[in-house]
Order: sequence, then C-alpha cells, then structure tokens
Amino acid sequence: VISLHDIRNTVGNIPVEWYKDFPHIGYNLDGKKIYKPIRNKDELDDFLDKMENPEYWRTVHDKQTGSDIVLSDDQVELVNRLQRGQFGDVNFNEYEPMVEFFSSDVMIHPITNRPADKRSFIPSLTEKEKVSKLVHAIKMGWLKPRRVEDDGRGRYYDLWASEDSSILARHRMHLPAPKIPLPGHHESYNPPPEYLFTDEERALWEQQDPGDRKLPFVPRKYSSLRQVPAFSHFIHERFERCLDLYLCPRQRKMRVNVNPEDLIPQLPKPKDLQPFPTTQSLVYRGHSGLVRSISVSPSGQWLASGSDDGSVRFWEVCSSRCMKMVQVGGAVKSVAWNPNPSVCLLAVALDSVVLILSPSLADKQVILSSERLLSAQQEGEEPAEGNGSVVWSEAEGEELNQGVRLKIQHPKAVHQVVWHAKGDYLASVMPDNTSHLQVYIHQLSRRRSQNPFSRNKGLVQCVSFHPIRPYFFVATQRSIRIYNLVKQEMTKKLQANSKWISSMAVHPGGDHVICGSYDCKLSWFDLDLSTKPYKMLRHHKKAVRGVAYHRLYPLFASASDDGSVIVCHGTVYNDLLQNPLIVPVKVLRGHVMTHDLGVLDVTFHPTQPWVFSSGADATIRLFT
Amino acid sequence: MSQIQARFFTEDKRYVVDDVPFSIPAASEVQELSNVINKLLEAKNASHSKVEFDFLVRGQFLRTSLSAHMETESILTEEVVEIEYVERITAPEPEECMMHDDWISSADADAEWILTGSYDKTARIWSTEGKPVMTVPGHTDVVKDVAWVKREGLTSLLLTASLDQTVLLWEWNSERNKVEARHCCRGHAGSVDTISVDPTGTKVRLERARQKLKRQQRTPLMTLSGHSEAVSSVLWCDSEEVCSASWDHTIRIWDVDTGGMKTTLTGSKVFNCISYSPLCRRLASGSTDRHIRLWDPRTKDGSLVLLSLTSHTGWVTAVKWAPSHEHQLVSGSLDNLIKLWDTRSCKAPLYDLAAHEDKVFCVDWTESGLMLSGGADNKLYTYRYSAQQAEA
Repeated sequence: VISLHDIRNTVGNIPVEWYKDFPHIGYNLDGKKIYKPIRNKDELDDFLDKMENPEYWRTVHDKQTGSDIVLSDDQVELVNRLQRGQFGDVNFNEYEPMVEFFSSDVMIHPITNRPADKRSFIPSLTEKEKVSKLVHAIKMGWLKPRRVEDDGRGRYYDLWASEDSSILARHRMHLPAPKIPLPGHHESYNPPPEYLFTDEERALWEQQDPGDRKLPFVPRKYSSLRQVPAFSHFIHERFERCLDLYLCPRQRKMRVNVNPEDLIPQLPKPKDLQPFPTTQSLVYRGHSGLVRSISVSPSGQWLASGSDDGSVRFWEVCSSRCMKMVQVGGAVKSVAWNPNPSVCLLAVALDSVVLILSPSLADKQVILSSERLLSAQQEGEEPAEGNGSVVWSEAEGEELNQGVRLKIQHPKAVHQVVWHAKGDYLASVMPDNTSHLQVYIHQLSRRRSQNPFSRNKGLVQCVSFHPIRPYFFVATQRSIRIYNLVKQEMTKKLQANSKWISSMAVHPGGDHVICGSYDCKLSWFDLDLSTKPYKMLRHHKKAVRGVAYHRLYPLFASASDDGSVIVCHGTVYNDLLQNPLIVPVKVLRGHVMTHDLGVLDVTFHPTQPWVFSSGADATIRLFT
Repeated sequence: MSQIQARFFTEDKRYVVDDVPFSIPAASEVQELSNVINKLLEAKNASHSKVEFDFLVRGQFLRTSLSAHMETESILTEEVVEIEYVERITAPEPEECMMHDDWISSADADAEWILTGSYDKTARIWSTEGKPVMTVPGHTDVVKDVAWVKREGLTSLLLTASLDQTVLLWEWNSERNKVEARHCCRGHAGSVDTISVDPTGTKVRLERARQKLKRQQRTPLMTLSGHSEAVSSVLWCDSEEVCSASWDHTIRIWDVDTGGMKTTLTGSKVFNCISYSPLCRRLASGSTDRHIRLWDPRTKDGSLVLLSLTSHTGWVTAVKWAPSHEHQLVSGSLDNLIKLWDTRSCKAPLYDLAAHEDKVFCVDWTESGLMLSGGADNKLYTYRYSAQQAEA
C-alpha cells in the first residue's frame, strides 16, 4: 500500500538518478536532510544475494524509498496474473452475463414515446437545400455537370468480331444432344410391378431392333439396394452418350414456310381465254340412227355426217338445214371432207367400201376441178402387186346421180378414212389383229393403193397424216407410232399410259399429238419433249370417243360417253423452252345419252371458235 | 314519304298538260304517274278518255319506281325532274299466218305486197291480208334472199338470190298476175346469201357467202372485196355508201363511187345481220353471241358500241329498224322469239312475241303498221302494231 503522502520521499516525481551521488533524498518539514538508507550492497553482494538468497526472486528494490521489499504471495500472484494478461482482481468475473440495455423483449413502455418527426417521412430538407445550391451553381456555370461517359462500347470487346463466319455459323447451328431424361420408375431398383415386363413384352423387347426399343434395358426388381448388381451396360451406355455428344452430326432442319397454294401453278381464268364455245346454238336433226362421224368443209359452210341408219347428210351450218341426203346402204363408220379448198369431195367409209362423193355444194369451178381430179388416170398402168385386194371402180347409174363418184373396195370392214392435208392421198384403216394389211394409203389422182407396212404391230385404232411434213401417225391400242414416209421407216413410238386408245388428233403446228382412250384419259404428247405423255387429263367420267384440235384457235376438245364435250385451251409456244399451257375451259352438255353411248365424234369449225359434236341420240349439235 | 318535284312534258300535242312542277311521291310507279296525267287531262278536257302512258326520265324508260330509277341513274332529287311522257305502245297483235311449204329464209314487205323467199327454191308474193298471190319458181337451189326493186303502178321489179349462185330479176304485173324473168345476174363464186336494193332503186348490191360484194346493174359494175370470210348481210346506207357485215367479225362501210373501204367496225363475234335507220343514223347488228349492238357508222375509229341489247338466248338472225319510229327495232332469233325493242329502254325489250315454234330467220316492217316474221316452222306471221305519230 503506497500512500500519496509518502514521507519517505519528498522530492516528488523526478528521476532518482539526480540524487544518485548524494547521500540524501529530499528534505523533511523541519528542513533536515532525509538520508538514504545505507546501502552497503555492492555488486558482489548483489551477486551473492542472487545466488544464495532464496527470496531474491521476489525481492523488489523500490527506487523511491531505496529499500528492498519482499513481495508476498498475493502480490506475486497478482504480478503473474498481470503478466498473463488477466485482470488483476481475482474476484473479478469478466464473463458475467450481459445486462441488455435494450432487450429483445417487448416491454410495456417504449424507451421513448416521442412521435416520429415529419422529417422522417418527407424528403430531406437539408438535401434539398444542398441540391438546389448545386443546381444553381450548375445554372450559373460555376459547376460543370459531370458528363456521363458512353463507355458501353468501349468497355466490351467483341471477342468473335474477326472470327471466321463459317465457323461462327457452325457454332450457331450447333444443336446439342438432347438431355437424357431423368430416371423414372423404370429405372428404379424396386419398381412397381406394372413397370416390369411381362413375358410377351419381354419377347417383344428381345425381338425388336436395339434402335427401336423404348427402353434400352429390362426393368428389374431387387428387394434392397444392396442387392443391385453392377450395370453391365454402363460403359456401353456412356460410350454411346459420348458419341452422341461429340460425334453425332446434327443439323438444323430448315423448314420452308411455303403456302401450299403458292406451289400450284397459276392457271389463267377461263374468261381470259375467250373465245371458246360456251353454249349450244343449233341442233341438226334428221338422222335416225346414231351419228358416228362428222366433218366440216374447209370453207366452213357445210357439215357432212354419217350415221348408222345408212345415210350421209349434208347440212348448212348457219341454219341447220339438211341440204342433201345420200343413202349409201350401210352403216357409215367415218366421213372425211377433202381439206383441199379447191375441190369439194367427201370420203365415206361404210362396211368394206370407201366411197368418194362429190356433193354439188360449191362453186361450179370447184366442182369442175373435183371432177377433173377424179377422172385423171394414167392410161395403161399396171396395178402394182400386193394391190390385188383393193379394187377401184367408178360409180354408175343411180349412185352417180346421188353424187357417188368412186368406190374403193377393201377386203375387210373399213373403220376410218382420213385425208392428207394436200387432198390427194387418202388413208383407210381396217382393224385386224392378225394381218399386217390394216392400213392402206390411196392416191386419188392415180387411183393407186398401197400398203405401207409389212409387219403387224397390233390392232390399229386410227391413223393420221402430219399436216406439214411427210409423217404418218398410226395409233394402235397402247402406243402411237410415227413413220417417216419418205425414208420409209419408223421415227418414234409414243407410249400412252392408257389401255386402249380410241382416237387421235395432230396439232396443226405438227409438234403435238393428243389421244383419247377408252379408260377416260386424254394424253397430250409433246413430240419435242419425250415419248411419254406431257400431260394426262382425266376430266371425263367415261370413255373418250373422239378428240379434235382447232385449226386456228388454241383449243382442243374431247367427246366422251358421259354425254359431254370438254373444251380445253392449249397454247403452244413458239420457243422450245416453254411447255404448252393446258387449261380446261368449258364442259358442254346437251347430248342425251342413248344406250349407254354419249357423244361419238367432235370436230371444230375451220375458222370460227365453234365446235360440232355428234352423238348416239342421232343429233349433231353446234356449240358457239 | 319523300316527295320529288317533277315537270311533265310531251311531244304529242294531244296530251299536253301545264308546264308547272308537281310534287310527286318518290315511290310512285308508272301506273300512278299515268293516273296523275290522266287526271290532269280530265281536268282540262272533260271528254278525255283514259290513256296509258309511258314515262321517260332523261331518255330512259321508267320501269321501276321513280326514286329507284333516279338512284340507279344518279339523278339528283333536289332539283325539278323533267319527265317526258308518251302514249304507251300496245303489244303487237298477231294477225295473219301464212303457211309455206318449207322454211322461210327471207321476207321483204312493200306497202301492199309481201315477198317471201323459201327453202323450197321458190319465192312467193302475198297480199298484206295474207292471201297468196303468186309463186315465183325458177331457181335450182334454195332461195336465200328476196327484195323489191321498184314499183311503178302496176308493174314492179323484184330480185331473188339463191344458193345456186345466181340472182334473178323478175318483172311482175300485178294486174295480170304474171311474172317473167328479166335477167340473171351471175358472177358470184359462191352462194348469194343476201341482196339489198339502194334507195333510188337503180342499183343492187349482192353478197356472196364467200367474201366479195358485187354492185350490179344488170352486169357487175364493181367488186368490193375486203372481207376475209363469208359476208352475211349487206345494205345500202344511202345512195353513196354500202355497209356489209361478215363472219370475220367486222362491219365495213364502203364508198360506192371509189370502191374503197371507208370505215371498219370490229366486233368480237360473228355478225349475222345488220340494219340501218336513216332516222337516227344508227346501225344495229345482230350476232351469234345473242346481243344486238348499236353502232354509229360515222365514227372514224375502229369500234364503238353505243348500246348493247341483250335478251335473246340464241343467235340473233334478223334485226330491222322501224321505218317511222326512230327508237324502235325488232329482232328475231334462233330461240323462236321476236322482240320489239325501244332503244331508250335498253335493259329489256318492250315486247316478246312468241308466235313461232321454231327458229326465226327474217323480220320486216311495213309502212302501214304491220310487222312480219318468218322462220323454220314454215310460217310467216304478220302483227299489227300501233303506229306511233312520226317523231319530228
């Protein structure tokens, strides 16, 4: 215990070394020197003390009094404690529980019940003042507002700007492998029984292709997780997955958003393709049997028709008046008007005879030149061999009065006669499966006939001459053969996909052929394109009996057993690049179906867009 | 009910009313307007008997109610509307029926006599009362067209054209009832389908089914060629001009003095027949697309169809203008109907005459109020129509 008023030292708080050399330290109240305690301890004594004094370690030399104090145990304990950094007082507990000043318990009374100031709810006034000062300074120009840097671009660097675009595209196109689905009940080690395979399912699973299987494994059931064996397919499965991830090529499927209606080619509307026949105008009545064949004169004024009632009738086109009727005594199969405008002759095929008629329905000059053509005959000419079966003879008597001039007797029934464009040659068809003498070509001016074919290639249905070049078209039941008459060989064979061709027509330009068949199809062949049909039209419901082209307008028509005539527009382009444009344009009805037969023949007017059709109801109708 | 201000006027002096505007209910039809006029006339003249009237607004016949008509014609209803009224034309009554032996191809009527050509290779002369007077044989083929040339007193000249490529000129003495052939005009290379006599009666135009037209006065004076197909109909417009219609879809007008072509009017379909009216200077043509078209032959450029009358359902084979009325024409067609048209009412014909049972080939008028029609049912019908007062 050191008191404040320690009389041992009266000098105060000064360094003791100032009195080191003096024997005294300070003065007392009386003025007498206070002498230091005698120290007779020198270094040697000090050293001996250190060695021998057992309490040397707790002896402390008090500098102020000059005495050695031996510390008690408590004091030593205190020193130790202080040296360790603990509190000096033993009884002090530094771990006493905290006495919360503000506890978390809600007390009855608040610490302060002062109501909140308005300034806690409204924007701060001091800030407002500061801001207004700043604004004023900015307005006055003392302060420049800090410009915001546009560092959006500068801050980021496009790492891939100079990258190769194809690589980038490939990256963009990258389709990652789909995620493996999370394991479900099938993968469980103890699945519900419905997830396990039955025998059939098991058999099915084993049968299936590993690629087709829904589950790549068989669900198994174990009673505890301990018993689940190692998955035998583990490595394989992982391998497959790795392949899928990095080796399986995946490509984005570019789906084209195309309106399906855009793919359909835009065909022009029928009313843009006028003129074409639309309505029935005239009906030519007079025949009593079905009219098998009609033909219009090249001038367009007269119409000739042949019928099963054994008569050939001539009609005036504009008034439907039957001007002349010639009884020929047999069902007429075919009539054909000579296309040469300077003669007026009609070829009629009935039974096994072909008659050449000269109706006096034209100018006298024309009639004279017809007679001249018929009577020109070289004298003393030997009939060629192979010709003996065809006999030419002149008509006499009653037949001459009727108009018959020549008769060509054939060995078999003639089904069709057709003229060459110049009007001198005539071809006749006698269909016969067995012989090669089915087609005869006759020359009128020389009264010669010849058979051009030496081999039988099938049942000939119809023939036609090319309008311009020396080609000859022969239609058999399934194909059309084109022969070059000058070179005497076959140039082309057109395969129609029809079972039975019934009729054929050649385009006036000479490069296109249409043929109609008994299985309701009409095929258009482009001879420059290929030997297969360019287009097959299936407009009719029943067999197509006759087809025809218009000489001037781009129209063609087909007549069928369902009683209708379908007129189509078919423009042919001069440049070889464009395919013909075929647009069906009108269905003409009017004929009455008789005995399941409808319209038997169709032909166009040579100059006007009109079409004539003859039917089994014994009428001929003009549609304009 | 809205009202429209209307003023009535007429050319007919018998039925003139006061020229003041009247207030008419907008939805009134022809019958009500007719009643109005009749009442006005009765107020003026106590002895007036009821007459049916027909009304025209701006040259078009009134067929629907007044307001509907004005709306379709876009006439303003705020102003006073001028309505012209005319006495209604009654339906022509069929009078006589003359039986022939064969189809009648053509008919030409004079003041007292009717000349018909037939498919039985003869031409016949009938009186207008329907009695056959004379048969003119002589052709070797179907007679396609007939025409009167001149009538002087008792003798008259007539022409017949036929498919045997000749035209025969006959002189007929009506008193003695004898006919003798005067001359035979040859020269055509095809059948002669129509002939036409010029107004002065001196020259004749023929035309053949094969594209050329010949002007004849005994012997061919001139050949006008230019059509590419058959010429179906020909006529004289006046003494200087000839008009022809053909199957090559054109109507050509030729100048007779020079022989050259003046104008060409192009259509789209085959022309069957034409007729010219000097009263209204219009050409009417009938064609195979069932329309009758009115043309102005004075137009210099190609084709200008002024009006198109559509009602027939078959080819129009014959058209003829009324000789005394500038707006009326009659047409015959292959659908067995004869239609009487007024060009001011262009949507529908005035009357349909359904007397024939078969195709109609020819129609004609007489000055004295008769219409004729002949056709394929071998009959020639005459109809009495009420002759309008000739318009000034």
